Amino acid sequence: MISRRALLESSAALFATRLFGSSTDTPSKRPSPELQNLADVALHQAKKLGATYADIRINRYQDQRVGVRLSKDLTTGKDLESPFVNGETSFGFGVRVIADGSWGFAASPLVNREEIARIAGEAVTVARASAKLQNRPVELAPVPVYQDRWTSPFRRNPFDVPMAEKLELLRASVQEIKKDPRVFSGNGFLLFHSEDKFFASSEGSAIQQFIVQTVGDISAHAVDRKKGLSKSRNHRPPPLETGYEYVAAMNFGENAPRIREEVLEQLAAPPVQPGKKDLVLLPSHLCLTIHESLGHSTELDRALGYEANFAGTSFLTPDKMGKMRIGSELVTVYGDRTHPEGLSTVGYDDDGVKATRFTIVDKGIFAHFQTIRDQAHLIGEKESRGCCYADSWASIPFQRIPNVWLAPGPDSVTPEDLIASVEDGILIDGTGSWSIDQQRYNFQFGGDAFWEIKGGKKGGMLSRVAYQSRTPDFWQACDGIAGPAYWQQYGLFNDGKGQPEQINAMSHGSAPARFRQINVLLTD
Amino acid sequence: MLTKDEAQKLAEKILSYSKFPECEISIDGNEDAFVRFANNGLTTSGLVRQQQISISSTKDRKTGNTSFNQIDDKSLRDAVARSEEMAEIALPNEEHVPSLPPQHYPEIDRLDPATASARSPELIVHARNVIDAARSKSLVAAGFVQRSARASAIASKTGLFGYSASADSSLTATVRTAAGDGSGWASQPAIRFAEMDSSGVARRAVEKCLASRGAKRIEPGKYTVVMEPAAVAALVGYFGFALNARAAEEGRSFLSKDGGGTRVGEKMFPDIINLRSDPTITSIPARPWGFDRLPVQAVTWIDAGVVTSLRYDRFWAMQKGRQPSPPDANMILDGQPNAIDDLIAATDRGLLITHFWYIRFVNPKTMQLTGLTRDGLLLIENGKITGPVMNLRFNESPVRLLQNAKMLGRPERVQEDEVSDDLLVPPLQATEFTFSSVSDAV
Repeated sequence: MISRRALLESSAALFATRLFGSSTDTPSKRPSPELQNLADVALHQAKKLGATYADIRINRYQDQRVGVRLSKDLTTGKDLESPFVNGETSFGFGVRVIADGSWGFAASPLVNREEIARIAGEAVTVARASAKLQNRPVELAPVPVYQDRWTSPFRRNPFDVPMAEKLELLRASVQEIKKDPRVFSGNGFLLFHSEDKFFASSEGSAIQQFIVQTVGDISAHAVDRKKGLSKSRNHRPPPLETGYEYVAAMNFGENAPRIREEVLEQLAAPPVQPGKKDLVLLPSHLCLTIHESLGHSTELDRALGYEANFAGTSFLTPDKMGKMRIGSELVTVYGDRTHPEGLSTVGYDDDGVKATRFTIVDKGIFAHFQTIRDQAHLIGEKESRGCCYADSWASIPFQRIPNVWLAPGPDSVTPEDLIASVEDGILIDGTGSWSIDQQRYNFQFGGDAFWEIKGGKKGGMLSRVAYQSRTPDFWQACDGIAGPAYWQQYGLFNDGKGQPEQINAMSHGSAPARFRQINVLLTD
Repeated sequence: MLTKDEAQKLAEKILSYSKFPECEISIDGNEDAFVRFANNGLTTSGLVRQQQISISSTKDRKTGNTSFNQIDDKSLRDAVARSEEMAEIALPNEEHVPSLPPQHYPEIDRLDPATASARSPELIVHARNVIDAARSKSLVAAGFVQRSARASAIASKTGLFGYSASADSSLTATVRTAAGDGSGWASQPAIRFAEMDSSGVARRAVEKCLASRGAKRIEPGKYTVVMEPAAVAALVGYFGFALNARAAEEGRSFLSKDGGGTRVGEKMFPDIINLRSDPTITSIPARPWGFDRLPVQAVTWIDAGVVTSLRYDRFWAMQKGRQPSPPDANMILDGQPNAIDDLIAATDRGLLITHFWYIRFVNPKTMQLTGLTRDGLLLIENGKITGPVMNLRFNESPVRLLQNAKMLGRPERVQEDEVSDDLLVPPLQATEFTFSSVSDAV
């Protein structure tokens, strides 16, 4: 809680800027000595109090949200413009220790030596209390010692770009969307996120990282009050770990008129005839299906029961590694925190493990779980696969989904080829409704837009579509994936897991893919 | 814990830096202690302090917003200046409403000092009770015990000031068989941590786990259902989104009338359905003010099945030339003097639902949702539970659920992930609940 002492602290924001430097500083390969000095307070205090391992993360997060909504006032017929600008920062530290064989964690927003020592002591107290009810002592997979600094590549820091430029872009986009009076409202937003992260451990690592992410979206909404219908259509470019230079490539200018037309087509689109159909899923849609069915089911903490009380367990268990077929021969999937512009791409994870790429599904066979340092030994592995992440300085690092991507098909296969051999099917773009059971078997997905495929040709739009399947059945029904030229990296910004719940962002790339005879439902 | 006096001084200091005609601030601080357990042992525990200040500065209907967590003088001054700089270059907001004058907020006492100060040793007692109960039956427990102390304040340049401090705690527990063929769940929220009955939670989770073993497959379709309060809360909670007057009047809600207008005044539900908000109910959390800073008051949304009120925020009320609605402090579905066993006894053939998982909108206009049953789905035949069945996915709207409600039990507060903590709902029996597929998940 905020205390009187806190009120006396001076210039914390400036202090943070001095600690982390600015993005225009000459890049160094060494972490800031001042951060290391602060970290040493926690590491020494934890050791003094008997901890056998300690780490500290001193982090600063910055978010900027800019939005414009233009919506019709039904009374006056006039359009109401409602802009939104928000800047958010959060700075603090968390100390994690192992004492008496148990984890302990404590965190505070007051970044000074006295508070760091106090919080390190709190973490040891928590660990010792927990040790009385532990199952087995925590065991960490070995990791090399790193002293390094890593920055995600970007050309233009979005926080240095004038707000007016962002607002003007969004305003022009929503005005374009609203040019047809039958469109009820247009929305646009941009989100920029950065993380200054410093990690130091009692094993000698000190790692400073700076990450920048850029997200944007425009949407159109239409209402048919006579028929009681309400529909929306988005243009949602992939969120990427990159800078403001990406905003131009989002191409709101060309896409605003497209979604304006498509939302009206969608409002008049006939309902789907339910039944078994072939699906051709675009990367903008498949990202969420990959995430829910293959991303979550291959988390080792779930498989071992550590998430049983909330996020659930998994149909995949360690005895199925290297044996169980969960996809067709075409399906090869990687966990990858090194992939350029992936939302989960880092130099090092929050255990201080260097980012890596590993196979999750190899030609349809389940190959490997996602792991972190305190899990590897539980399945007889010697090292972590680098999937540790905490969403805040105030959160406990734990195993989270990395970038998980589906390998493309042969060079020669095009999306048109996938469609050409479908007699009765649906082409799906974007994400809509989604839900999957707690062991990642049964799922249901909607989408943002649906087109009928008849006799190998894409037809008009359909409405009220959802499909259901079972993870291994669905991926074994995959009989076509387009080539590398069509591979796109989409991503998600709001994956929840853990207690207290934490949010994670990661990318899921794929090329368009075809799935045979999937159960399609007619929704409301 | 930030006291009222400290909050007021901090607010005055921030407002003293403001140069714009309008400045609104909010201050939030919390301290959370938590213990997590799985596989019959503790896994991660922590003690976390957080704080956040949000500032909105407005001039000529142009607003800049900033949030931050450092509260030294320089950070405060810089933050006010930053919000004003953003406002200077922002566009005029045609939906802006001016700051409220000082308001009289109700005193809401939900601050039990013992709850606010509980630490790991007190929390671990309850984890141990659940683990011991599971072990005694050769079962495997996972769960989460937490307490949270919070202080919130709002203030603005008009002289408005409000302060609220509260504490709350909860336990959720999942008990599974070692073979993974059975799973049970139970939970308890407690405004006073001393009232935490972890032995009772453990007993219910163990019983449900044992009862769920060997589930048989049944065909999806329409079933009469008896929902425990956690299941009811997960669906009824969606009414919080749906009672918005603007969405109803703009044709975007189930409360929109085809062709225009709203369904206020229509008897859409049976006589037994009464949905309301009441800040004087002390067994559930409540805040003194709502989204647009008006004081909370008692509101009846559905009265004996008739939709009586919609939520008018300050902007939409101004557009419509009417008074804004008082914000709702919580959501209460009134019940009937029945035990859940009475609901089961009154069911010829149906399903008892422990709780749901992964509920998401399918169609926001009709409020159609999808999700799955979890941790105990039991078949009821001739008024008795006759055995477990495999989990099912539903595609259904809470509107239709309440329209098909036949019988209610006594309301209680529930603790459920992804469900608001301020719901008071009864167990419920309803007909024609639509399940669309079977899940293999246990």
